[in-house]
Amino acid sequence: MFYPSAKLKVDRRDGKLAMAHFFVAFTALAIGGLAGLLQTLVRSGKFELPAGIGYYQILTVHGVVLGLVLTTFFIMGFQIAATSKTSGTLTNKQRLAGWIGFWLMTAGTVLAAIMILLNEATVLYTFYAPLQAHALYYIGLTLVIVGSWIDGAAIIMKYAEWRRKNPGQPSPLLTFMSLVNTMMWIVATIGVASTVLFQLLPWSLGLVETVNIAVSRTLFWYFGHPLVYFWLLPAYMAWYVVIPKVIGGKIFSDSLARLSFILFLLFSIPVGFHHQLMEPGIDPAWKFLQVILTFLVVIPSLMTAFSLFATFESFGRSKGARGLFGWVKKLPWGDARFTVPFIGMVAFIPAGAGGIVNASHQMNQVVHNTIWVTGHFHLTVATSVVLTFFGVSYWLIPHLTGRTLTKAMNKLGIIQAVIWVIGMTFMSGSMHAAGLLGAPRRSSYSEYGGAAQALEWIPYQVAQAIGGSILFLGIILMLYIFINLAFFAPKGEQEFPVGEPADDAEKAPMVFENWKLWLGITVVLILFAYTIPFIDLIQNAPPGAKGYKLW
Amino acid sequence: MAKTELSQKTKTEIEDSSSLKGTLASVFLLGFFLIITWVGVYSLFISRF
Repeated sequence: MFYPSAKLKVDRRDGKLAMAHFFVAFTALAIGGLAGLLQTLVRSGKFELPAGIGYYQILTVHGVVLGLVLTTFFIMGFQIAATSKTSGTLTNKQRLAGWIGFWLMTAGTVLAAIMILLNEATVLYTFYAPLQAHALYYIGLTLVIVGSWIDGAAIIMKYAEWRRKNPGQPSPLLTFMSLVNTMMWIVATIGVASTVLFQLLPWSLGLVETVNIAVSRTLFWYFGHPLVYFWLLPAYMAWYVVIPKVIGGKIFSDSLARLSFILFLLFSIPVGFHHQLMEPGIDPAWKFLQVILTFLVVIPSLMTAFSLFATFESFGRSKGARGLFGWVKKLPWGDARFTVPFIGMVAFIPAGAGGIVNASHQMNQVVHNTIWVTGHFHLTVATSVVLTFFGVSYWLIPHLTGRTLTKAMNKLGIIQAVIWVIGMTFMSGSMHAAGLLGAPRRSSYSEYGGAAQALEWIPYQVAQAIGGSILFLGIILMLYIFINLAFFAPKGEQEFPVGEPADDAEKAPMVFENWKLWLGITVVLILFAYTIPFIDLIQNAPPGAKGYKLW
Repeated sequence: MAKTELSQKTKTEIEDSSSLKGTLASVFLLGFFLIITWVGVYSLFISRF
């Protein structure tokens, strides 16, 4: 489908805005990656942190800087570039919203980072009450979230403008997807904003003495699960729309892609209880309901898997591939823009399988709070998502900076992904295994008084340190490639690949653009899944908790 | 005549270029992997709790 609004090249001014996001994101990768390396070394039992730096402090750095900063900044930058490319250059007003959002997010990040570095906010990335951080840390994170709303407003305004100018037309697919992800983010962050503004901030300022822990955790996980889909959907944008163009094929189905995004909007929010399956105070019936809703999110992921296999097979067969799997050989394995995200797709198979285990209600007892869970999200976000983001960077960074991805950098990109796979196989694999043996997540190195069970975990912790060290090499390599593409690669034109549906494809149904309908169902599902449990949690609350600073 | 035609029928396998049988096989493999993982942890669950 040809859209007259689509630009050959992202406008330079929009490109600068997107690049500003990427500079923060890759700085976060450097800092957070180092913290991650140190964590695995400490947990091996062979290394102690110098100068009295606490393990939990670097754990907080790692989680906040990679889980919140790297992801949010990269995603916002990518979505702005994708919207500008497919729906046309942002107006000055839209771009201004983008810059205000960017600077608010950056100011908030710096504030939160300072408080973590001063050891005033060692509350882990989930900032679990009753662990109590300095008020400025909560204010910093609030700025990040409010900034992301204003940043997202640029995308919403562009979408609205496109629809006004093109009545009766389905919006460009990448813009549609960016919009869905932005709306999901806004609905989801209301939860974390509520707990921070109405509970944690007044409590850390001393305005109230105690806080309702269960409500705070429930509000956090109302946000915490859609957060992981907020990471994942931009990777899906690349898989559905960019990869078909990179390999020279067609989008298998534009409508299927839109439907799967709508399903994510509906089902990824009312599912937070699957992070709280072991918690008292929530009726098991409501947990079960949210488990069912969680399993409904499996559907769009399986649709995505089908659609990607079909894209690859159709392409391979159009090139004359025969047999059941002959098409695999026709794929462009030498192209980092394809191979690196492809590795991310493959990683999502064990990642998704682990996720289904985690969400299986009573079965969660096997893995709850063990390092299996850490292994799980290092496959989802730290492999599937991050490798896809790296794969996107290989064409997007040079596209925005007016440079090209050279053969040497392309090869280095593939080597980087291979290093990542080796490191992650060691690290995430041993985390999964140790988790099944009961090894806890989050906690620092301990021999637990020489308990036999705890001794079993130590070899796996050494394997995690080996994996962590290999991954850190991968991070250094990625930073080298990023700096090359941003500043040193030869000047030229690098394509922004946007796939097209097959020639005989039908126009996407307009019902997908009916936001009253989709947001309406989203709100109804959320109210259904959360209203009664919240009434319960508030009416039958135990005495609130004072703040603790255990570090 | 019908008999001769039958015996003359050649065995040419024409593979449709729009076939998605590889995709079908792939999603089945994916599904089996999900089931094996789940059943594996389920048996751990049953043996422990």
